[in-house]
Amino acid sequence: MELSHDLPDSTDWIDTSLPAFEPLEAALRCEVCKEFYNNPVITSCSHTFCSLCIRRCIGADGKCPACKSACQADKLMPNIAVREVVTKFQEARSKALELARKDKEDSETSVGARKRKVEEAELDEEEPVRQTRARQTRRSARRGETAGTDDAPFVILDSEEEKDGDYLPEGMAKCPICQELMKAHLVFDHVNTCTGEPGDRSTRSRKPSSFPTALQTRPKEPTPPTSRLSGLNYAMLTESALKKKLRDLGIPSTGSKALLIRRHQEWLNIYNSNCDASDAVRKSKRELLRELDEWERTQGGNANTKESYVMKKDFDGQGHAMAHKSQFDDLIANARKRAKAVQKSEPEGKTTREPNQEPQQQPHVDQSTTTQAPHPSTAPPPADAPAARPYEHNESALSTIKAKVDEANRTDSAFPSLSCEKSSSNDRAAKEAEMSEETTLGFQDPFRSPSRKVPMFALPAEPVCDVDSSTAIQ
Amino acid sequence: MTSSASKRLFKEYKGLSSDPPEGITAGPVTEDDMFLWEALIQGPEGTPFEGGVFPAELKFPKDYPLAPPKMKFLVDVWHPNVYPNGEVCISILHPPGDDPMHYEQASERWSPIQSVEKILISVMSMLAEPNDESPANVDAARMWREKRDEYERIVRGNVKKSLGL
Ligand SMILES: [Zn+2]
Ligand SMILES: [Zn+2]
Ligand SMILES: [Zn+2]
Repeated sequence: MELSHDLPDSTDWIDTSLPAFEPLEAALRCEVCKEFYNNPVITSCSHTFCSLCIRRCIGADGKCPACKSACQADKLMPNIAVREVVTKFQEARSKALELARKDKEDSETSVGARKRKVEEAELDEEEPVRQTRARQTRRSARRGETAGTDDAPFVILDSEEEKDGDYLPEGMAKCPICQELMKAHLVFDHVNTCTGEPGDRSTRSRKPSSFPTALQTRPKEPTPPTSRLSGLNYAMLTESALKKKLRDLGIPSTGSKALLIRRHQEWLNIYNSNCDASDAVRKSKRELLRELDEWERTQGGNANTKESYVMKKDFDGQGHAMAHKSQFDDLIANARKRAKAVQKSEPEGKTTREPNQEPQQQPHVDQSTTTQAPHPSTAPPPADAPAARPYEHNESALSTIKAKVDEANRTDSAFPSLSCEKSSSNDRAAKEAEMSEETTLGFQDPFRSPSRKVPMFALPAEPVCDVDSSTAIQ
Repeated sequence: MTSSASKRLFKEYKGLSSDPPEGITAGPVTEDDMFLWEALIQGPEGTPFEGGVFPAELKFPKDYPLAPPKMKFLVDVWHPNVYPNGEVCISILHPPGDDPMHYEQASERWSPIQSVEKILISVMSMLAEPNDESPANVDAARMWREKRDEYERIVRGNVKKSLGL
């Protein structure tokens, strides 16, 4: 839960009373970066992306990522409508999400109480004198759903009306600046003198300003964007000429020619996408230089170090590790069950390539249906099944495995042998004893282990032994 | 401070964790490096890979999603589209610019709007339906074409081996 607050994305809506907002929000996000459209632009093929994202894509292969048709950076046009929708949606998001979550919780905790509330609300609705068709329709529709057919003739499930969330009494209008409700014919006069009060709810003055509010009543005329930079013919430029160009632009001019070119291209992407920004959010050159520096550290000349350190503070790694672990466990548990079924049908000591093993798939399927083992892809393992968490008990297996893997890595073989030699049951018993000790690596807490590579390909190797033991115990 | 690549990878990870496709699990190996993932893919039903769980690693480039990751199985996978070293060779893992398999449609290849999830699903369906037109493993491709029984026997053997049987 906390996670979704830290890293908002469209899936936040799934568990609310407004799951339909999930696809809505997804549609307001760029398909390249998965963020809300930032300075959206539309291509000549009518696809919309963040300006910076599409510029980088075009720089990489000259094509629209959505439809693969040829694209040119100088044909990109700001998509102002999308920009506005995204901005307003973001402004409304947290409140809406909060309400939708609360609504869901309420309805889950007290369905009965909630129903009562709705009925009271409906009674209240009888009172007001002003009633538009929209409201009547909605009320009737609701009654039609819950109470039965008394109102049937009036139940008009008009989707247009239903969408009318911003109910305004007849003849009334809202000031677009201060959101105040007033008689419609007064709005135009009011707007001319509106100070943005009360509550400074004006969405137009997003940034606090020292100007007297009276001067902000009208949005300032948009200033023309600074003109875009054009590309260079790098082949025609010597390294020193290119360096001079970069110095003239005020960006770093160190590094090889290849790096100079990449840096210049990225600067064009950053600079030109800023030209596609609305005036309210257009950045200063200083900020752009900071972005170039960020690029330099992650992809440019200083990009040797590993990153994603940020995630640590934003991300409940433990929570995800747990979720992740249980998914791995489920997969492994399922495979293990089937393996168990296979093994029962198979005489010991058989090697994998013996020809008479061929018909074995049939019996194996049969067995897995006759034992309580569910089919891996149709059902999760039953919670009480002994095999559901195979690694809970054999955690010390990892040390053996680790040794094996180390050995495999040392010999530098492309295929570390994963086969667990079919040895005598004595050997297996010994191994099992070893396994029943501590294990804290791998699936127990994937994020703690230095690398899950070890358990990743070692763990599937071991369950066999465990299979035997659990079979024996049963 | 982080790159757009790791942010995007993180979002994909979050999506995959909260709503994983059937038979597929994937995530970064450690929290400290979003650019190295591991994945487990279940062998599709009705194929000789059925019953197996195949671990693989995914390495993402710093400019992801402009360029695709590389994917490599960490166990033996005998398959026309898997190199003997485990590297997976399918169209979605190839950037549009480079076309080692000339028959490929540009539309099947990598694009920044593709995703880890789509890759893993493609790999799952690759296991079920090999493409032997320009194989990564020539021997496996020939065997798949000419001696299907033997091919399937080897695959089943690898499945058991990967489970330690
Ligand atoms: Zn974007
Ligand atoms: Zn397009
Ligand atoms: Zn206009």
